[in-house]
Amino acid sequence: MLELSLGIILGCCALGAGAAMIAGIGPGIGEGNAVAKACEAIGRQPESKSEVTTTMLMGCAIAETTGLYALVIAILLIFVAPGRLVNILMNTLGK
Amino acid sequence: MKEKNHSFKIKDILLLLGMILPLAAGIVIKVLTTPASDGIEITGARIFFRLKLPVQDLLITESQVNSWLVMISILFLCLFLTHGLKEKAEKKRQLIAEWIVEKTDDLVQKNMGSYFAGFSPFIGAMLALSAFSSLQSLLGLFPPTSDLNIVAGWALLVFLLISYYKMKCGPLHYLKSFTEPVSFLTPLNVISEIATPISMAFRHYGNVMSGAVVSTLVASALQGLSLLLLRWLPGALAKFPLFQIGLPAVLSIYFDLFSGCLQAFIFAMLTMLYISGSFSPDEYNAYKARKKRTVTQAKGGC
Amino acid sequence: MQTLDVISVNIWQILISLINLLLLFLILKHFLYRPVRKMLEQHRKTLDDAYEAADAAKTEADSLKKEWKSRMRGADAEAKAIMEKAEKRAEADRESILNETREKADQMVRQAKADAAFAYKKAEEQMKQEIIDVSAKISEKIIGREINTEDHHAIINSFLDEIGEDHDGKQ
Repeated sequence: MLELSLGIILGCCALGAGAAMIAGIGPGIGEGNAVAKACEAIGRQPESKSEVTTTMLMGCAIAETTGLYALVIAILLIFVAPGRLVNILMNTLGK
Repeated sequence: MKEKNHSFKIKDILLLLGMILPLAAGIVIKVLTTPASDGIEITGARIFFRLKLPVQDLLITESQVNSWLVMISILFLCLFLTHGLKEKAEKKRQLIAEWIVEKTDDLVQKNMGSYFAGFSPFIGAMLALSAFSSLQSLLGLFPPTSDLNIVAGWALLVFLLISYYKMKCGPLHYLKSFTEPVSFLTPLNVISEIATPISMAFRHYGNVMSGAVVSTLVASALQGLSLLLLRWLPGALAKFPLFQIGLPAVLSIYFDLFSGCLQAFIFAMLTMLYISGSFSPDEYNAYKARKKRTVTQAKGGC
Repeated sequence: MQTLDVISVNIWQILISLINLLLLFLILKHFLYRPVRKMLEQHRKTLDDAYEAADAAKTEADSLKKEWKSRMRGADAEAKAIMEKAEKRAEADRESILNETREKADQMVRQAKADAAFAYKKAEEQMKQEIIDVSAKISEKIIGREINTEDHHAIINSFLDEIGEDHDGKQ
């Protein structure tokens, strides 16, 4: 029973982390679009390269935020959540 | 003259030592506190000291200590750069100092307008602290920016500044801005207001931390690979870190050098944009004029 | 040694890091921005001073140049005047010398004329005398008698005068 519970906890945490990282698709597509547009803009106006690059990096960083939220949740699920959940399980079993 | 030159050089060397010694001390602390049997694993900062306080314990951790070391290092760097300033720039270090000052002034002027010209040391401090903290991982130290608390502190400061500048046009005006454009959007407005510092903190922390995680994973994978390949060798040779020699450096250049500097720049940039976006001098002037008028009217009424 | 979780929130740590950033802001402001700004300001001031000094020197040089130009123009006029004066004087000298020489020449001509007239008269006188003498002798011989020489003279003179008058009238 205990082993099963531990297994379910760890497995679900890993599954959850993996599912959370699906959010990585969004920023990937978004940033790809942004960089493509930036390349077009630089191709059209090579003299404004530095400004376009700066703006693009800013935009990429902001678009990355959702992906980073997912990453943070994945990290929580992998490194923090199992310990907490196992503690809770032990407490309830001990009681 | 000769004597003066001599003392000048000695002071220079002392300042340089003041720059390097904190980092060396950080490495020493790291070596002393790392348990011998520790493999590669992903953990947070080490706790050096714990003090009982209300709400939560006060913890002095590796990230705090490292950021203090970086601050001391930056202080001595400033002293070194401004040591022996002359009216006519002769030394390279004076040129560097002037470059830093002029660049940050330019950046602030361009992104925030002339009303916020006094913010350039703040933005410079933010850039320096963030970049040098991230770059500490090049020395094998724990980068303070990969601790959420450190970055959350900076984001909280930015949030306080944003709120201060929004409230400058009167607290009522600030509260009213939440109900715009429609009153039932108020909860969303509140959430988006709170989300600003949180997203800033998580962005910076997430970037540095993910870099550290990926680096660690790759390093452990390479360790396993080299152990697997060199298993047949006798004695200590079997533990020779064959693949760990050059490959992690490439990742380190991206995650520590490029990403660290980029995140510092983005953090400063977002700070500037948020602060300058929260306040418009024209509106403030109009508010002041209105207030003055009401005051004079009240006086006239009396 | 204890470690924190990968993600953990601690109020005190957040406050400490907030204060750290403020502290670093003050450090940078005092130890980097203030001295460098002061130095830049000073540098700008000395540059301005140098420019001002250069401007002043330039205006002074301009005024000097103008003065010298005007002076040069004056000198030119003076030289021209001197030249004119000299020319005039030379002209006058030439004129006076010419006049003098002309006068001298005239005088000489007049002298010569007078001399010639005198010589002519003298020669006439002489010729008259000779003619008188010769005619007196001739008439003495012809007449053979001695007449009063004085009468002779008178006769011949009157005769000669007649001739002379004729001669003068023909002239």
